[in-house]
Amino acid sequence: MENRPHTVAFDKEKCVGCVDCTKACPTRAIRVKDGVADAIWELCIDCGECVRVCRYDAAISLTSSPTELEKFKYKIAMPSPVLYGQFGRHVHPDKVLQALKRIGFDDVYEETWMCEMVSAAIDTYLTECKGPWPRISTSCPAVMRLIAIRYPDLVEHLIPILAPRELAARDLKRKKAAELDIPEEDIGIFHITPCSAKAEAINDPLEVTYSHLNGAISIREIFGPISKALKGIDKVDITYSYSPIGMSWAMAGGEITGMRNQNVLAVHGAPQTLEVLDRIDSRQFRNVDFLEIMLCPDGCISGPLTVAGRYEAQHTMTLHIQNVASQSRVKEEKVRNLFQEHYFAFEREIKTRPVQPLAPTLKEGAAKAKEKLAILERLPKKDCAACGAPDCKTFADDVVRGHAQISECVFVKIEELKKEKKTPKPRATQAKSSAKAEKN
Amino acid sequence: MPETELLRRTFKVTGSDFDRAGEVSTEVKSLLIEIGVDSTSARRVARASFEAEMNQVMYADKGTVELIVTDSEVQMTFQDEGQGIEDIELAMQPGYSTSTDWMRAMGFGLGMGLPNIKEISDEFHIESTPGEGTLLKFTVKMDSA
Repeated sequence: MENRPHTVAFDKEKCVGCVDCTKACPTRAIRVKDGVADAIWELCIDCGECVRVCRYDAAISLTSSPTELEKFKYKIAMPSPVLYGQFGRHVHPDKVLQALKRIGFDDVYEETWMCEMVSAAIDTYLTECKGPWPRISTSCPAVMRLIAIRYPDLVEHLIPILAPRELAARDLKRKKAAELDIPEEDIGIFHITPCSAKAEAINDPLEVTYSHLNGAISIREIFGPISKALKGIDKVDITYSYSPIGMSWAMAGGEITGMRNQNVLAVHGAPQTLEVLDRIDSRQFRNVDFLEIMLCPDGCISGPLTVAGRYEAQHTMTLHIQNVASQSRVKEEKVRNLFQEHYFAFEREIKTRPVQPLAPTLKEGAAKAKEKLAILERLPKKDCAACGAPDCKTFADDVVRGHAQISECVFVKIEELKKEKKTPKPRATQAKSSAKAEKN
Repeated sequence: MPETELLRRTFKVTGSDFDRAGEVSTEVKSLLIEIGVDSTSARRVARASFEAEMNQVMYADKGTVELIVTDSEVQMTFQDEGQGIEDIELAMQPGYSTSTDWMRAMGFGLGMGLPNIKEISDEFHIESTPGEGTLLKFTVKMDSA
């Protein structure tokens, strides 16, 4: 597990050793050691908050390279609906899809209808579900991973319904292979992603044995080529129709807008996510049936790998939703049937990866907890992060686990230096007195 | 074999502070997991502890929570200064509650708090002086012990 591939990485050449990412990391996984950032990778959920805050482009997200695309005979782009909000209000989503075809994809898949289907499937699931409440959305892979690591008891709250991109890719692969009469292995489906967490969900998925997608390309990377290709596109073909409900999935609260169940709530942003999960974990918050939780501040539209400003993008997206309004094609009856056939279901159980206790035995663990409290009492509690850990409490944990030395705290160091300055004096007087004693 | 005390911690609870209510139970749970208490036992302690903490938040001015971990069990003691309980036997009945409408609207005060604590724990003790406060103790024996 420790060596699992991660999408998030740090460029040691570019890192200046500021502590912005350390502070932003929701699982407190990052430490600045020897002047550069690195992570305790077991704690990393690939949310990309570090990528978002890094001012030096040192925190990066490793997504698919053009050579990986070339491995496939038939390449399909499956953009997250977020992509449509990146080019301003005058660029119709249809033009964006046309542009993708011009830059090397053989085909494109429009995801919004599948998003609407999943909203309906969640409704169906809720009518049959008997708790525990609230049920938690599984559309944000960073939230799902956070729960697997930090809140293992909440795994049973997760809705075991696959993400639209996985469902769509599974269908699409079968359909295209039959249509083109080529093996499924020759078809490469690439998600155009707003975040590293979705890329990681393709690299190392929790809910399926292997992802039905073949890779992810960040919006940041593909924005330039699409912009260039858009220049030659004048006409809107309207080859595709869009689900306004599916489109709203790109923004916070979007998943619940299309739902019939009204006892629902949307929570977004990293600190808010931690707060609400803490509350559910202590059983304080259980009156809601369904909770949409997005780790990014405004939902996927503010993902760390997006280009357009989050407010501009939301404005564009809102206008698109109004403009593409079309009759719903999702039939409740059909969704219910598919649901009964387990079409939407997770393909495997989520494995939890809880944080290791302080020591192998309870006795030692309790002793370590006492030690940790004693260490914390020596620390300034300024949470300055100069030691490289995000706050004093985390630093105390690092020290007690043997990953850091207490002298790495500048305040402790200053105290020690002060003491050292004082201590030679009594030694000197002692020496004098002993010298006197000798004289006598 | 006499039990050996391994760890003791004390926490404070403020009455009517619904925003912070539950923080002590959350902290107790993560502390238990951190020292290596099995997750089933830690969860039982956290659930019972949350009910007791909520009672302090709802009905007391202030309270203290003491956690003691021994080699075989977790002991929790909740002591508060508050209105106390008039009739403990009645309070122990499932569904009995003196909660206000708004407490119920928030999903608390459904009259299941005390019965739940008794149900979840292995040992349970409660005593109260009306107008002064309540003392509640419960013990959860650990799975591995």
